[in-house]
Amino acid sequence: MAHSKYTRRDFLGEASCAALGSMTMLSSLTNLKLLNALAQPAAVSSNNDYKALVCILLAGGNDSFNLLVPKETGEYEAYKVTRSDLALPNEVTPEGLLAPTLPISPLNTGGRAFGVHPSMPGVQQLFSQGNLAFLANIGTLIQPIANESEYRSGLKKIPLGLYSHSDQIQQWQTSIPQNREAIGWGGRLSDILMSTNANQRISMNISLSGRNVFQAGNMTLEYTISNQGNGSEGITPVSGYGYNGLLQRIRDNAVNSLLEDVYSNIFQSTISSLTKDSIDAQKEFANAIAQVPPFGTTFSAHYLSQNLRMVAKVIAARERLGFARQTFFMTFGGWDHHDEVLNNQLNMLGIVNNALREFYTVLEELNITDKVTTFTISDFARTLTSNGRGSDHAWGGNQIVMGGAVQGQRILGQFPDLSLSNNPLNVSDRGVMIPTTSTDSFFAEMALWYGVSPNDLTKILPNIGNFYSPGSGTPPIGFLL
Amino acid sequence: MRTEHFIKQFIITQLSVCYLLLICHQLDGQNTIGGTNFNNVKVTTSNSQGRAIGEKTITDAGLQPNLNAASRFLGQATLGADLETISAVSETGFSKWIDAQTNIPIAFSLKTYVDELVEIYRDSLAANGEDPSEAYARSEYWRFAWWQYVMSAPDILRSRVALALSEIFVISENSPLEGETKGLASYYDLLLKHSFGNYRALLYDISTHPTMGIYLTFMNNSKTDIEDNQFPDENYAREVMQLFSIGLYELNLDGTRKLDGQGNFIPAYNNEDIAELAKVFTGFTWIDSPYFGSGARADTSYTRAMKIDNRYHEPGAKFLLNGDLVPNRNPVNGVADLEDAIDNLFYHPNVGPFLGFRLIQRLVKSNPSPAYVGRVASVFNDNGQGIRGDMKAIIRAILLDPEARDCALSEDPINGMLREPMVRYTHLARAFDAAAENSTRYQNRMSEFYGSTQQRPLSSPSVFNFFQPEFQPIGPIADMDMFGPEFQISNSLTTIGYTNEVYKWTFDEELMEYQGIYPYESRPAGTKVELNLDAEYQLVQQGKIEELLERFNLVLMHGKMTERTKGIIKDAVLEVPSDLLEYKMYLALFLTMISPDYLIMR
Repeated sequence: MAHSKYTRRDFLGEASCAALGSMTMLSSLTNLKLLNALAQPAAVSSNNDYKALVCILLAGGNDSFNLLVPKETGEYEAYKVTRSDLALPNEVTPEGLLAPTLPISPLNTGGRAFGVHPSMPGVQQLFSQGNLAFLANIGTLIQPIANESEYRSGLKKIPLGLYSHSDQIQQWQTSIPQNREAIGWGGRLSDILMSTNANQRISMNISLSGRNVFQAGNMTLEYTISNQGNGSEGITPVSGYGYNGLLQRIRDNAVNSLLEDVYSNIFQSTISSLTKDSIDAQKEFANAIAQVPPFGTTFSAHYLSQNLRMVAKVIAARERLGFARQTFFMTFGGWDHHDEVLNNQLNMLGIVNNALREFYTVLEELNITDKVTTFTISDFARTLTSNGRGSDHAWGGNQIVMGGAVQGQRILGQFPDLSLSNNPLNVSDRGVMIPTTSTDSFFAEMALWYGVSPNDLTKILPNIGNFYSPGSGTPPIGFLL
Repeated sequence: MRTEHFIKQFIITQLSVCYLLLICHQLDGQNTIGGTNFNNVKVTTSNSQGRAIGEKTITDAGLQPNLNAASRFLGQATLGADLETISAVSETGFSKWIDAQTNIPIAFSLKTYVDELVEIYRDSLAANGEDPSEAYARSEYWRFAWWQYVMSAPDILRSRVALALSEIFVISENSPLEGETKGLASYYDLLLKHSFGNYRALLYDISTHPTMGIYLTFMNNSKTDIEDNQFPDENYAREVMQLFSIGLYELNLDGTRKLDGQGNFIPAYNNEDIAELAKVFTGFTWIDSPYFGSGARADTSYTRAMKIDNRYHEPGAKFLLNGDLVPNRNPVNGVADLEDAIDNLFYHPNVGPFLGFRLIQRLVKSNPSPAYVGRVASVFNDNGQGIRGDMKAIIRAILLDPEARDCALSEDPINGMLREPMVRYTHLARAFDAAAENSTRYQNRMSEFYGSTQQRPLSSPSVFNFFQPEFQPIGPIADMDMFGPEFQISNSLTTIGYTNEVYKWTFDEELMEYQGIYPYESRPAGTKVELNLDAEYQLVQQGKIEELLERFNLVLMHGKMTERTKGIIKDAVLEVPSDLLEYKMYLALFLTMISPDYLIMR
């Protein structure tokens, strides 16, 4: 078992309570919360100081070289030859079976034209309005790898389990591809910034998709909600037996006693504190959400749209709940298109398109677009070549970042040549791109925007020094800062 | 894994360790020590309908520890056991019981049961003057079949092992398999068949089952077409190695990872190996396929092993792992290639520790010591008669290992596992012989349960199961670099969701989500499945709350209910107004089922 480079003990020693050398390995989560509360700096929360990061995991590996497609003649031809039966048309075709990509005009590509997937007119519009940008050929890296010969040299560190779902999904959430880490960069972010929130009872990390690595910190656990009702339900009230008030009190007291008891067994202590915290948080949370007035914005029925609607509700309740910093996480799965990639993407990218468009609209309604940055991650892009019906696992790909603070209408990083041969970035006859931008650079930019000091950046992204000098005074990529 | 280190560290700190070693010293026979608190416990015996017909009183002061030990054993080896079974196993002994269980032939087929339900649907349509051919296998049928098997079949060890296998060799209805009821039932039948068979046959059969072909997309996977830049689908080649056989890294016999000269883990395969193995999984298609690339002709197509169409199978030699090779066969022979590839995986030294670790995690504990994994892996490699991959021997080795059986270990703070929600569910239903008055069926669609807990059979979100073997929940488990897989689906929604499921099972007396066999069925009387709590109710009537809790303690908690927990539940029950006898019983059961003493099996 690879051991975490930054254990909780290291973290506490470095970051918050250097004097606590006598902490035992058996310290419970509760104790750590307490320690952190003692060590916390003055809360800086105020009505205006709010920032949220919204992470959408497109689980399974989105074929993102059909999300963002070159439109210049020569570049498009290379794309078309490589992708063969998976290529989207550049223009309306006589057969008309597949719609052409929707043209966009980035401000920073020297006039190179690109297209977005035909199912994404809302994304095209958000891009053109300057509220959305693409990260091109981004992926998991430990250090820069310039070309195929460096990749094969054995001298450069390569991410563990490259091309494997479980590893790559994890590494997109940890940004530490040399280890298998249970702690994510959003969790490390919240370990540092949780004290800025007045509310220390409910996690600042809200998940619509249950447990996830991104939001797991050394001292932070996600709070999972649903997109229904007020986001959560409490324990069913006692009814039907008479004496309801008395029976309710007896039951709740007993439940609390069982869960508050001290258990030496680590599994028992984990499940009891988790359940107790969930029950307590639920009442406060649901009550705050219930008071959010209805939105004018309408949302599609798909759960991704409904998830983002619930995120907007939580954001609207931020002051009542006492949050200045929050992260949100959700998974939209089913992108492992070894089969039927064209049909599936048409449907699924359309769902993403609607959800992003609706979410941006409700943030406008709440007048908070500049305080919420939304981004996609995905295991990997897929092989540029076809397996006859779909595509397989690859590496570097394209992602979306959206928000009022985003300097949009840009394609950030380098969009690669998609030729199979004489292409230094291609490491396989299947068409697998070495990423030219690391997840670290992407996440560092958002972390700095979110309020992390440059000095703390390596605590959140240990490899960032391989890609960016935190003291340089220039931004890692330049889409938020 | 540093389990051993911690086991040593904590065992010596356990004041109770000597006492526990004493009472657990002899688990597998009639020799017993201690247990003087347990005189005169009444044991209810039941007939095959699950209704009490008599009682016997165990007056042997020493028998009770054996009952607890038997209960604990059955907590690992079954999906739940009633007092009668616990009592019988305490007399039979574990080894003999395993022998008997593994020799019970499979008398149940989920696929056949689904077919029967379709027949009933068909008859009902005919009786109503409608077109009988419109009857089909509805999506709930396979869950009805699953419950039927779990609740009624005598091979209760097999039912536990098969569920474990379904969480290792994963297919899921969260995929294009949604609604493929016959296919799902047929796949589960395959797991039942191989639970006590040989791993090689299991690996071969899942690799040719059409549900797997659809789920991991190698159905209609075609050979390389260089001109069109088309290559074989790599999906199954990757997952069969990563998840079904050898895992990512080369392993020592004890499951720890081998290290190279620089101290790094050694990958078991690379991307080129995957591309090579992907060539083997080409040409696979429906057995009744009229042409390569066609869809399924009928839902029964999902129940018959795929064929390999040699015209679309990759010709030429293929490199396998460890220097092996599929020869260049002329003419092309996909089946022979597949046999070679399956052998290559089957004989890989990783399989024993890989599979052993995963099965131990499903049945016994989250953090087995390397020595435990090594003992099980050795049995995988050779069952004692020179046979590799003997599932019976592996299951026996897992369940009879000292690390599974030693009660002293169960008091160690790092020992145990979180019971998974669907096992808690079957556990309760089986412990109290859940049955309906006028129906032998269990028509449980498990829909709300799934929503509340994120679990039901063959419904994981991905091929990585509901949770992964090396998941580390933050808090003391992660601090100690330990694993707690089941915590991956334990969150602020599902912990409360499970609690409310228990509420329904107890106070609301809604144990199962009934659904009719055909859409317009009016529910017949007497189809409500209920727990048999007659004896427990009598105890409440007699004011014997302590005895009631002892009963729950024995059957559900294997004697692990602490005095603290018992006190909390007892105080609550005593505080309930005396006329609410039923409420008292349900409150005790509700609190038992949500207590950490129950949720953690140790």
